[in-house]
Amino acid sequence: MSRRRSLVRPGAAGAAWTLLAGSVLLAVTACSGGAIAQVTPMGGSGYVDGGYASHYYAPGSRLLAPKVTGTTLTGHRFSLAADRGSVVVLNFWGSWCPPCRREAPALAELARRLGRDGVRFVGVDMRDTVASGEAFEQTFDVGYPSLNDPNGLVALAFHGTVPLDAFPSTLVIDRTGRIAASVFGEVSYLGLRSLIAKVMAEPS
Amino acid sequence: MTRDAAGHASGIAADQRADAADPAVLAGDEAAVLVADGGEVAAVAGDEQAKLAAGDGAAARQERTRFGVFAWLRWGWRQLTSMRTALVLLFLLALAAIPGSVLPQEGIDPAAVQQYYAAHPALAPFLAKLSAFNAFGAPWFAAIYLLLFTSLAGCVLPRTFRLARSARQPPPQAPRHLRRLPYSASFTTAGNPDQALESTAAMLRRRRFRLRTGTGWVSAEKGYLHEVGNLLFHVALLGLLGSVALGGLFGYKGDRLLVAGQTFANQVPTLDVFRPGRLVTASDLQPFTVTLDHFYADYVRSGPERGQPASFNALVRYAAQPGAPEHSYDLQVNHPLNVDGVQVFLIGHGYAPIFRVTDGTGKVRFDGPVPFIPLEQSGLSSAGVIKVPDAQPQGLGFAGVFLPTAVDVDGRLTSAYPAALLPRVSLVSYAGDLGMNNGIPQSVYTLDTSHMHRLAVRPFPLAQGQSITLPHGLGKLTFVGYRQWASLAITYDPGQLPALISALTALAGLILSFTVRRRRLFVRAAPAADGAGGVVTAGGHATVVTIGGLTRSDAAGGFETEFVELAGEIMQSLSGGDTAASATHDGNAQVDGAQAADAKAGAVQAKGE
Repeated sequence: MSRRRSLVRPGAAGAAWTLLAGSVLLAVTACSGGAIAQVTPMGGSGYVDGGYASHYYAPGSRLLAPKVTGTTLTGHRFSLAADRGSVVVLNFWGSWCPPCRREAPALAELARRLGRDGVRFVGVDMRDTVASGEAFEQTFDVGYPSLNDPNGLVALAFHGTVPLDAFPSTLVIDRTGRIAASVFGEVSYLGLRSLIAKVMAEPS
Repeated sequence: MTRDAAGHASGIAADQRADAADPAVLAGDEAAVLVADGGEVAAVAGDEQAKLAAGDGAAARQERTRFGVFAWLRWGWRQLTSMRTALVLLFLLALAAIPGSVLPQEGIDPAAVQQYYAAHPALAPFLAKLSAFNAFGAPWFAAIYLLLFTSLAGCVLPRTFRLARSARQPPPQAPRHLRRLPYSASFTTAGNPDQALESTAAMLRRRRFRLRTGTGWVSAEKGYLHEVGNLLFHVALLGLLGSVALGGLFGYKGDRLLVAGQTFANQVPTLDVFRPGRLVTASDLQPFTVTLDHFYADYVRSGPERGQPASFNALVRYAAQPGAPEHSYDLQVNHPLNVDGVQVFLIGHGYAPIFRVTDGTGKVRFDGPVPFIPLEQSGLSSAGVIKVPDAQPQGLGFAGVFLPTAVDVDGRLTSAYPAALLPRVSLVSYAGDLGMNNGIPQSVYTLDTSHMHRLAVRPFPLAQGQSITLPHGLGKLTFVGYRQWASLAITYDPGQLPALISALTALAGLILSFTVRRRRLFVRAAPAADGAGGVVTAGGHATVVTIGGLTRSDAAGGFETEFVELAGEIMQSLSGGDTAASATHDGNAQVDGAQAADAKAGAVQAKGE
């Protein structure tokens, strides 16, 4: 009986292996189909929202923020380097994004209150049109400037330091121009205020 | 109960013995072969059985319990790593993928999941508990593929080691009774046995057999490439598993719809859909940019195929990172762009009509292209919405269709051709709260009209430059023009190249193991007994040479011919110039032929058993 097994098994196992390997190969090599799909790839909301994550980076471990320059929605030149010496809050938003709209009042209020203490707020309006961006700022009474970034190139500059992990995203930059804190997802008034306060309290 | 356990244990022992012997035992029924190759394990199994049979005292019972647990574990592992289990798991994996493709998925279309909740209020929470809306991330799905991975690795890894061992093994000792082998021949020759063996060995070595010699015998084996092929196949299979894991952990996929003139910067917030591997973080995305300069779609203009797509070309510029030099590329279907190890595929296209919306205060509140999603192929009628949440005094919203070649069929507006020959938009206007300030993500392709009211504007097809003036001084919408969009699939799979190499290696290994067969030849030489066969030679010495042959997986056949040829050659190499002797050989050659036929019958018998 055991002899017959030894006779039969190699062949059977070989065939089964071939079958299995074939299916694995099929699974691996199955690529995105032949014909162009008329269906849009975005079945979903059309953008990536993602969860919430807040980080504070210890002063010794901070990375220098990249060069951020561009034109604001109102047509003025802007350079982040000009704000060196102040704590800067950089908020990435879009008028089309509901979480950005919900966090907008908190940001506008914080900017009004902390502006007196020298905290600068700057927005980066992504994947938007200038007209809609301006309308948004009017709706939420946003008093600080926003860079016009329809293609996300300002945001891309942060690759290699603190790349954006969600939308909206907010970064706090310390007085030496280093990224001190990040919030991925919608900010809360109190949460962001305590992060800014922590950075403000650091000896310059 | 005790007897039961013993029964199981001995069953396992028997199993193991058969298994251990399996790679080494060729089709022969020689006990010597079995013992020589699988002897160690078989002996151990025998020991265990003996111990079980003699088990009496407390110590023995303890031993038995321990062995029982171990045996059960081993039995479980054996079941898991068996071929049958792997196939069942593979089937289960396919089965488990069905809910993921039938039910709406949270990660792909959260809006559809909400709709499903609304449509099936009783069933949906139950399904959600079963993770049916996140099928590919569900614990039961993970359980299946992890088990499959373990099963495959657990099956392939030991086989690999066994094959590696067997590829390096010298041939076994020659069995005592060569005539019992499937192929055998014998003849009597002049000279002493040592000389006969020596010249036989030399001949076999010339034929690149691997040799092993002992007193009175020579074992020769050839066809180790069979084992090498087998080994390659198994190593490649492991490589394939590793490649799949590599892709699953470090790869990512994303989609992005890009309107002509726009630039895509590869990062999380600028993707429409992002499906990262388990260990992918935002900093792992390669920071390249792709700008869509033009999109050309060509369609068949006449004949029965009219309106069918002929070609798509997306002319893009790309840079591997910010500040790097830009290159141009003509992106086509199935001609992906490779940038920084990432593949960018062209997977879809459509129209993005451009609108300008002025609100009640006279300010422009929206001015830009809006991607509309094709509803059908033949005319590319597309649907879309325009959201103007910040219009004053009320938010405005529009929903409607874009028709590339608008025609009126019995009062119904449709598109007759996919190219924009006569572009028209038809929109329904709404005013009120678009529900975007509550922070709940909503699709950019749908309008939530639950807190809006429809404006009394007769929907009529707008041509380029035409406007809808909204009632009550709420504003105005102008159809400015249109652009085309292309949708891109961004795929990063570090396991792709290793998978390809593994697949090719597996194929090469398979071919090798199917075409090369492993065969053994045993030769024994002994002084002829006086008067045996009645052979009398001139020199006074006579030697009986017996040759036995054995092969495994001789599916292609041909070993019989080779055996007869080799036997003949051995005979020839041993024949001196002696006429009497050669006559004897001739006589024996006839016997030989009969034996070959005999051997054939033997082989058939062996297979039939």
